[in-house]
Amino acid sequence: MQSSLHIKNLQLFRHNELLLSLNEQVNGGEILTLMGPSGSGKSSLLNWLTGSLPSGFHADGEVWLNDSNITFTPAHQRHVGVLYQDALLFSHLSVAGNIAFAMPPGNKKQRLEKIDAALEQVGLKGLADRHPDNLSGGQQARVALLRVLLSEPKAILLDEPFSKLDSQLREDTRQLVFEQIRYHKLPAIMVTHDHSDAEAAVGKIITLSKLA
Amino acid sequence: MTNIQNKNSIDKAVIPKSKGKNNSQSGSQLNHSTDWFTRMVKFSPKFLLLLLIVPVFGGLIGVLLPAFGWAPALSQYDFGFQGFNALWQTSGFGQMIGLSIATGLVSTLLAFVVTLMILAAFFNSVWLDRIQQILSPILVIPHAAAAIAVGFLIAPSGMISRLFSPWLSGWELAPNGIFPHDPYGISIILGLTLKELPFLLLMALGALAQPELGKKLRSQHKVALNLGYCPMTAFFKVILPSLYPLLRLPLLAVLAYASSSVEMPLILGPNTPPTLAVAIMQWFNDVDLNLRIKASAGALLQLALTGGLLALWLLGEKLVKCLFCESLTNGRREYGGAYWQTITGVVTVSVIVFIGLALLGLVFWSIAGFWRFPTALPDSFTLLHWQSAAMQVGEPLFNTLFIGIITTLIAISLTLLCLESEQIKGKLLSRFTSLIIYIPLLVPSIAFLFGLVWIQQLLAVQVSFISYINVIIAHLLFVLPYVFLSLASSYRQLDSRFAIVAASLGTKPCKVFLKVKLPQLFAPILIAAALGLAISFGQYLPTLLAGGGRITTITTEAITLANGASRRTSAVYALMQMLLPLIGFILAWVLPKFIYKTAHR
Repeated sequence: MQSSLHIKNLQLFRHNELLLSLNEQVNGGEILTLMGPSGSGKSSLLNWLTGSLPSGFHADGEVWLNDSNITFTPAHQRHVGVLYQDALLFSHLSVAGNIAFAMPPGNKKQRLEKIDAALEQVGLKGLADRHPDNLSGGQQARVALLRVLLSEPKAILLDEPFSKLDSQLREDTRQLVFEQIRYHKLPAIMVTHDHSDAEAAVGKIITLSKLA
Repeated sequence: MTNIQNKNSIDKAVIPKSKGKNNSQSGSQLNHSTDWFTRMVKFSPKFLLLLLIVPVFGGLIGVLLPAFGWAPALSQYDFGFQGFNALWQTSGFGQMIGLSIATGLVSTLLAFVVTLMILAAFFNSVWLDRIQQILSPILVIPHAAAAIAVGFLIAPSGMISRLFSPWLSGWELAPNGIFPHDPYGISIILGLTLKELPFLLLMALGALAQPELGKKLRSQHKVALNLGYCPMTAFFKVILPSLYPLLRLPLLAVLAYASSSVEMPLILGPNTPPTLAVAIMQWFNDVDLNLRIKASAGALLQLALTGGLLALWLLGEKLVKCLFCESLTNGRREYGGAYWQTITGVVTVSVIVFIGLALLGLVFWSIAGFWRFPTALPDSFTLLHWQSAAMQVGEPLFNTLFIGIITTLIAISLTLLCLESEQIKGKLLSRFTSLIIYIPLLVPSIAFLFGLVWIQQLLAVQVSFISYINVIIAHLLFVLPYVFLSLASSYRQLDSRFAIVAASLGTKPCKVFLKVKLPQLFAPILIAAALGLAISFGQYLPTLLAGGGRITTITTEAITLANGASRRTSAVYALMQMLLPLIGFILAWVLPKFIYKTAHR
């Protein structure tokens, strides 16, 4: 069965003022890109999708993930992974600890092997026991990516994930993230300011305008 | 503490900013060194150290010597262990120690666990703010008043038993009960837990309110939710490891206080035997002066006991860390969160209802005329108790206000000067200084205060004017740490560019301090002042001992009356104890709305 993330007839309001309306389906491996100025409701859309819409906002419409309605599912039961512009790694855990934190419980040895394999795959071999604050920005971004992927999400949201990286690093990281999304056949929604991000995603691009 | 300060220094980049300021003023450096204000500011941290170290360490030496038999005031000059021998032979000695350890440890643990449960269950929810608003006034209530209120509530004829009688319990007359004064210290634990819970919660929320740290932790909590963690698990696995270091000092202060305080155990505790701290106090105040050798030995033991408990806590910390380190990353997301959420809700509501009933009971007693047992409301109301209290309250009230205001003024001025010295020198106070500021909170006051009394008697000053000074110095030891804690972060966050602009316009350093910085800090200074007053108003032991028993305040009167005959008079005094600090906080909240309105818009 192909996985999909389906936003049905969404209308997002801030203080009863319509911010955006959207009706889209994203299939596994596809990346839907949302562009638009600040205040156009991009972040609120992501908050709604993760189940953490702040007070002051409300939404009509439904979100379906693989044929189940998750509109009212609490944030922690949605299986929607998010990559933010900051890596937001836990500073009380090592690199491996950060990834293990995200993985489903299971046999300790197998989990460790899986972490080592994943680190090697993204070129971070041998950094498992390092403290995340001692990594470079690009390395942190890759750990954050592994953390999301190994949590086995059913969809992934990208909140300007590359905006804090400089250009060469940005391209490499972007390529890695997109490859992984396609490899795992995850439906993805990306919010960005950057046109090169949008082009690299090779998917549908929606430009939101500021209504208010 | 150093943790918090290091955080601050990084977050607000105090150091680079102040350095910048220094550079910009380097031209007038020569001028500075001769400026009296700058010299005073630079000297202030040393004065602060002197003010704290001399009484505390002097006091400790003052109990150390008599404990080993050297007491010139009693004409005893033989070093030996007679004090300790007398101590071991006290009947119920083991029970005393056990009671001190149990009440201190259990109440601190309980308050900590409930704090964590509330934080975990309501993290990032509007309820956390509401709970904080409901509980924070409790902070203002002095321990003695809280103890009186709790005592009334759980007494056999108290509010709880009235609410369940006679329809459920069948009691037509007040039953015989063990509460308060139960031999197991349950009443003490209850009182201490209820009083320390809001303090710990507020400390935790204060740490989370630091802009950088708070934002980081909230987004990490969100990440954990996205990764499928139930909110409570996310708190324990993600927030707590980063939050705990900031809670360590308040926790240790709570533990030190709980294991050595006298106010709560005096009012809620058993008397056969009492806790160690209460026993020490009774020996000291005994007419038989030779008991003072035993009391000094007891004070040393109290020091060891509290020190041991603090060490035990730190050891427990390590143990917990070892035990749970693995499970942080085992990937388990759910530990019955919904179940714990419900339990936390029930506990929180019970705590709030319990406190509400206790306060209501207090108000009722203070205005009750005739009040038969099972009725929940007094049969008649009267203002007689308030009127008769008002006739006698003159001197205690004057003493309370006089000592409180002088102490707070000194504490605020000294704190401000020390914080200004940080900015002038361009670096934070040394670790040593910051540690010493909190020493009075970690050393059991009963240990060093008695030493102070000994020293005073050695100096043989018996003028009443002197006892005021003694009391003020003793109060300062406890007021200073809180005033400092409350002012430091606002002072360090102050935008230093205002001062630079003022200086570049040719303003003298003392004018910059008085006319530029202080007005900007008007609101935080008032809050710190209200806090200082509240702490001073609530002091029992320092007033009693340093004042040689000659200075009465509302608090000493309330405690003397608490175990006396009249519940009604006692209720009136407990309420007065609460009203005074409350007025202070209301003023601190209202005044900035009218004065220096523009300064903090």
